[in-house]
Amino acid sequence: MKNAKSLLAFGMATAMALAATGCGGSASSASSAAESTSSASQATEAESASAGSGTLNIMLETPVESLDPQLATDGTSFEVIADYTDGLMQMDADGAAVPACAESYEVSEDGTTYTFHIREDAVWSNGDPVTANDFVFAWQRAVDPANASEYSYMLSDIGQIVNAAEIIAGEKDVSELGVTAVDDKTLEVQLNVPVSYFLSLMYFPTYYPVNQAFFESCGDTFATSPETTLSNGAFVLTSYEPAATAFELVKNEDYYDADKVQLAGLNYQVIQDSQQALMSYQNGDLDTTLLNGEQVDQVKDDPEFTSVGAGYLWYISPNIKEVPELANLNLRLAMTFALDRDSICNDVLKDGCAPTYTAVPPEFAAGPDGSDFSADQTMFADACAYDPDKALEYYEAAKTELSQDTFTFDMVVDADDAPQKVAQVVKEQLETTLPGMTINLTIEPKKQRVEDMQNGNFQLGLTRWGPDYADPMTYLGMWVTDNSNNYGVWSNADYDAIIAECTTGDLCTDPEGRWSALYDAEKIVMDEAVIFPLYTQCNAEMVSSAVSGIEFHPVALNRVYKNAVKAG
Amino acid sequence: MAQTAAARVKINTLGDSAAIDAAFPGHTFTEKDFQLKDNAGDIKIDSNFASQSFWKDVRIRFFRKKSAVFGLVMIVLIVILAVVGPGMNDYTYSGQTLSQKNMAPRVPVIENLGILDGDETMSTSTGSKVVNVYQEKGLDDVYYWFGSDNFGRDIWTRTWEGARVSLIIAVAAAVIDMVIGMSYGLISGYFGGKVDMVMQRFLEVANGIPRLVICTLLLLVLKPGILTIVFALMLTEWVGMSRIARAEMLKLKEQEFVLASRTLGAGSFFIIFREVLPNIIGPIITQVMFSIPTAIFTEAFLSFVGLGIPVPQCSLGSLINESYNSITTHSFQIIPPIVVMVLLMLSFNLVADGLREALDPKMKSM
Amino acid sequence: MKKYTLKRILTSLFTLLAILLVLFILMKLMPGSPFNDEKLSEEMRAALYAKYGLDQPIVVQFFKYVGGMLRGDLGVSYNISKNTPISQLIQTRLPISIRIGGMAVTLGAVVGLILGIVAALKRDTVWDTCATIISVIGVSVPSYVFALGLSYFFGFKLKWFPMLFSAKAITQSSVLPSISLSMFTMASIARFTRSEMLEVLDSDYMLLAESKGISGASLIFRHALRNALIPIITVLAPLIVDLMTGSLVVEKIFAIPGVGSLLVNAIQSNDYNVVISLSFIYSAMYIGIMLVVDILYGIIDPRIRLAKEGN
Repeated sequence: MKNAKSLLAFGMATAMALAATGCGGSASSASSAAESTSSASQATEAESASAGSGTLNIMLETPVESLDPQLATDGTSFEVIADYTDGLMQMDADGAAVPACAESYEVSEDGTTYTFHIREDAVWSNGDPVTANDFVFAWQRAVDPANASEYSYMLSDIGQIVNAAEIIAGEKDVSELGVTAVDDKTLEVQLNVPVSYFLSLMYFPTYYPVNQAFFESCGDTFATSPETTLSNGAFVLTSYEPAATAFELVKNEDYYDADKVQLAGLNYQVIQDSQQALMSYQNGDLDTTLLNGEQVDQVKDDPEFTSVGAGYLWYISPNIKEVPELANLNLRLAMTFALDRDSICNDVLKDGCAPTYTAVPPEFAAGPDGSDFSADQTMFADACAYDPDKALEYYEAAKTELSQDTFTFDMVVDADDAPQKVAQVVKEQLETTLPGMTINLTIEPKKQRVEDMQNGNFQLGLTRWGPDYADPMTYLGMWVTDNSNNYGVWSNADYDAIIAECTTGDLCTDPEGRWSALYDAEKIVMDEAVIFPLYTQCNAEMVSSAVSGIEFHPVALNRVYKNAVKAG
Repeated sequence: MAQTAAARVKINTLGDSAAIDAAFPGHTFTEKDFQLKDNAGDIKIDSNFASQSFWKDVRIRFFRKKSAVFGLVMIVLIVILAVVGPGMNDYTYSGQTLSQKNMAPRVPVIENLGILDGDETMSTSTGSKVVNVYQEKGLDDVYYWFGSDNFGRDIWTRTWEGARVSLIIAVAAAVIDMVIGMSYGLISGYFGGKVDMVMQRFLEVANGIPRLVICTLLLLVLKPGILTIVFALMLTEWVGMSRIARAEMLKLKEQEFVLASRTLGAGSFFIIFREVLPNIIGPIITQVMFSIPTAIFTEAFLSFVGLGIPVPQCSLGSLINESYNSITTHSFQIIPPIVVMVLLMLSFNLVADGLREALDPKMKSM
Repeated sequence: MKKYTLKRILTSLFTLLAILLVLFILMKLMPGSPFNDEKLSEEMRAALYAKYGLDQPIVVQFFKYVGGMLRGDLGVSYNISKNTPISQLIQTRLPISIRIGGMAVTLGAVVGLILGIVAALKRDTVWDTCATIISVIGVSVPSYVFALGLSYFFGFKLKWFPMLFSAKAITQSSVLPSISLSMFTMASIARFTRSEMLEVLDSDYMLLAESKGISGASLIFRHALRNALIPIITVLAPLIVDLMTGSLVVEKIFAIPGVGSLLVNAIQSNDYNVVISLSFIYSAMYIGIMLVVDILYGIIDPRIRLAKEGN
C-alpha cells in the first residue's frame, strides 16, 4: 500500500509536468522539432557517454540577482544555481521530478510524511559528503524570519511543511520546522496536509541544500564568488562576481553523474540589447540567444529558430471593488469579448506566444490522465472569446444598466517593451470595438505598477503571473477572497469553498475529483470575468544547430544544460 | 605724413605767429591756403551705422550668414510640417491597422521611378530577399509615404506628430529655463557676497545630483505627460543658464551705468532687470537656442529609459527608440525620425551660432 | 590663496553632506518600494523592511548611513544583486567605467580640439562646414543608434573589434564603446573650441603677436589655443564626470559591467542604497572636479586670484 501511494504521487507529478515543454500556437512545429532532437540525443547519450564536448555559450537577458538558493527569486538566478547544485529531485526533459541527490524516497500512507534517502556518492566540491543536515539547514534558512527569504512561501503555503508558516510569522523557532535528519543520509519531512505535487517542489532552488560549515566560514560573502560557492551538481562555478555580465562554469568531475555530462563547461554572457545579441549569435560567439518580436520576421524560416514556453500568463485585472463601472459584469464581459488575442500574439508579439482564453494557461499542468489542464481553449467560449458582436451586446446592456454612454479607464502598464506593445493594441481594440470607451495608458516601472495594484490604486492593470509549481492551483489560488494577488478584490463564497476543499479538504487525496472541482472553480472565474486573460508568454530563441539536448521548461528551471551536447 | 604733423603743430600753436613761421620756414601764407578744397564729389558719405538700432544691426549680420539662414529656413519648414504634416493624409498617429504593419515607404508618382515603391530588402538569416507587401496583399491604393510601423501606424503622421511634441517640449522647457535660470543667475551675481554664496551652494547641490535621478523621480511621482516632462527638464536644465547670467552680471555690475543708476536711486531689481538685462540679452538668447536641442535630446534619453512621453503618443525620441528594435529588420522605420531629429538639431545649432556672432559686438568686424 | 582653497574645500564638504541628505529625502519620496513583486505578501514585505532597517524613521536611517559611510560601509543591495555590499559592486564596476570613460574623454577632447581649431582657422570654408556637420551629427544622433551602427560595421561586418566587452581583452573591446561614448564630448568640444578660438583670434593681443612676426604653429598653439583652453576646460569638466560615471546606453549595448546601467536598474527597482551610493559618488566626483577647476583657475589666471583674495 505504501508503495502504491508513493507511485501514485510520483505518477501524478510526472503526468502533471508532462507536455510542459514547447509552446502552442504558431511555433509548435519549431518547438516540437527541438523537443524531439532533445529526447533523441538523450537516448544516444545514455549509451555512449563519450568524452566531453565543447563549451556552451549562453546568452542571458538579465544578470543574476543572487546565487544564494534561499534568497534567489528570478529565473536567471534559478537556472544558474541549478547548473551547479542538485536538489533532492531534478527535472527530466519532460519536466517530471526524478531522483537526484535522493536515490529513493517513501511517502507515508496518509501522504504527509516523506522520507528521502540521500545518495552515498553525492559530494560537495570541497570533498564533504552531501548530508541530510545540509537540507535541514537550508530549509531552516528559507523560513528564518531573520533572512526574510522572499520565496519562503514555497515551504509554507505551497509545500505545507509542518510549522513553516508559524516560523515565518515569528511564532516558533526555526528548529521546530517539520524536517529532520534521521541520520546523515536520511531526511524526513512532515507536511500539514498531503501535497500532491510535493516531489516536483524538490527541484525548486529554494529547497536546495547548503553546506552549513562552509556557509558559516563564508560569513556575509556566501555565494558572491567562485570561492564562496560549493557545487554538488553537474558544473562548478569558476568565475563570477555579483551582477556580472559574463561568468563561467566548468564540468564538475566529482559529480556522481559526471559520466552523463558531456559539456566541458558553460559560458554565460549577459546582453541586454537583443539586436546586439543576434549579431553575436550570427557571429558564432553565442550558441543560444533570445530574440525580440521584430527579429522573428528575420529568422522565422531558420531551422535554428525555436519558441519555448515561459509559463507566464498575461492578463488584465479590472479593479472590481474600487471602480463602480467595472463592478458591472456586462461591461467586463463586453471588454473581454472585444479583445482579439490572436492578433496580439500573431501580429504584435510574434514570438510564438499562445492566445489564452482560460484562467489557467495551457501546457504547464497535466491532470491525472496526463492531459493538459487547459488544452481546450474553447472551454469557456461563452464567457471568453473574441466576438465583437457579442461584445457590443454586452456593452449595450452595460450602458443601460449603468445609464452611461462613455467610459474612461486608466490602465497601468509596466515600462517594458512587450507590455507597452500589448497595451497599445488592447487600447486600440477596446476603443474601436466599444465606441465611447477610452483607455488611457499609465506607463510605470514594474515595481511601482505592482505597488499601485497591491494598494488598489488602479482601474485596469496589465499584469502577469508565472507558475510556481505544476498545478492549476498556482493560478486559481489567487482569486480567493483576501488573497494578496487578488488585486481586483473579487469575492465569491462558492469559489472560496471549492478552493479550500481542493487545498486542505478531502479532495486532496482524490485527484480526479479535485481536477473536476478545479474546472468548476475556473468556470466561475471566467463567467464572472474576474480577469481578462490575454496570452501565455513564450520566448523566441535561437539555438545553434550544433547544440542539442537543452531542456526548456516553463516552471521553476527555465533551461537545464546537464544533458546538452555541443558538436564540433 | 610730415605735412600733417606740421599742420597739427600749427593748429596747436595757432595765434603764435613766431611759432608758425618757425614751423614753415620760407613759406608765406596766402588767402588761397585757407580756401576749401572743392572735392565734395570725391568724399563718400559713410552709411551711418550709429543711427541704426542694435536689432536691425543684428538682423543684417544674421542674414549675411548663409548657414544661419539655412538653419532658420529648416526650422520654419519643420515647424510648418509639424503643424500640417499629420493632417496631410487620412491616417492618425495612433490608429492601428495590424494587417498593414511594417510596410515599406511608398509614394505616389515617385514609385514609378523605381524608388519608394514599397519594395523592401529583408535580410533574413536564410538570405536576403526583396518583398513588396503592397503587392503581396493587393493593396494598390494604399500609400504610406514613410512606411508603416509594427502596429500598422503611418510613420509620416507619427514623425510630424512626434516633431510637434518634441518641439513643444523643447521650446517650453527652454523658455521656462531661461526665465528661471536667468533670474537666479542675475540675482546671485548682483547681490554677491553671502547671498551669492548660499545661492551657488544650492545650485551645486541641485547640479550635483545625477539628473536621471531627479527626472525619474518626478516622472514617477507626477502623472506622465508633456507637462511633467517639461517640468522635469526645467528642473535640470536651468543651471547652465544661471551660470551664464551670473557671469555676465559679474562683468557688468561694476560698470559706470550701473553705478549711475544706483546713484540716481534705482532699486536693485530695477537695476537687474531694466539696466543690466537688456545688455546681456545676446548671450542669453544664444544659450536658449543651444538649450533647445539639449532638451530634445534629454527627452529622447528619457524615452530610452522608458519614462518619456506615454504611448501611444510619440516624440522624436520615442519614435527613434521604438524603431530602434527594428533597425536590423525594417531599417526604413528609424530613418524619418532620425533625419528630422538631426535636421532640427543642426538647424538650431546653426541658428544659435549665427545669433551668437550677430549679437556679439566683439565679432562685429567680421 | 591657501585660505581661499581651504574655504572652498570646507564648503564642498558641506555641500556633499547636503546632497546626501537630499538624496535620502528623494529616495523616501520615490513611489514603490524595493520589495514589490507579484509573489510577495504583505507580511513578507514587512519582514524585509525590518531586515534592512527600512521601517525606522528616515532621520535614524540617515545617521546610520552616514555613520556606516565613514567606516566605508555603503550598505547592501536589496534586489539588483541581493545582499551584496555596495562597496564590492562599486569596486568591481567603477574602474571599468572610469577606464572606458577616460578613453572616451581623451579621444573626444583631442579630436574635438582638432576639429574646432581647423574649423576656426579655416573659417567659413568647406572645412568649417564639414567640422560643423560632424559635430552636430555627434550631438544629434542618439548614442545607442550610433553604438549599434559601430558594432554592426566594425564588429559584425568587418570583425575588427569585438562586439561585446570582455574582461579578457579589455583594450580591444573598449574601443567601440569608447568611440560611441566620445561622440558627444567630441562634438561639444569641437563647437566650443571653434567659438573660443574665433574670439581669441580676433583679439588685439593676437594682432600684436602676429605683428611681432610670430607665425604658424607657434602662434596657434602658444598664443591662441592657450587662451582658448581655459573656458574649454570649464565645459569639459562636467562632461568628464558624466563619462566616468558610466553611460547606460553604451553599457547596455556592449554588455559592459559598469556603473551606469547599475544606476538605472537601481532607480527602476528602487534599490535605495545603490542609487544613493552611486549618486553620491557622482556628486563627489562632480564637486571634486569643480573644486579642482576652481582652484586651478586661481592659479592660472592671476585676475581671478586677486579678485578672490580681495574678498
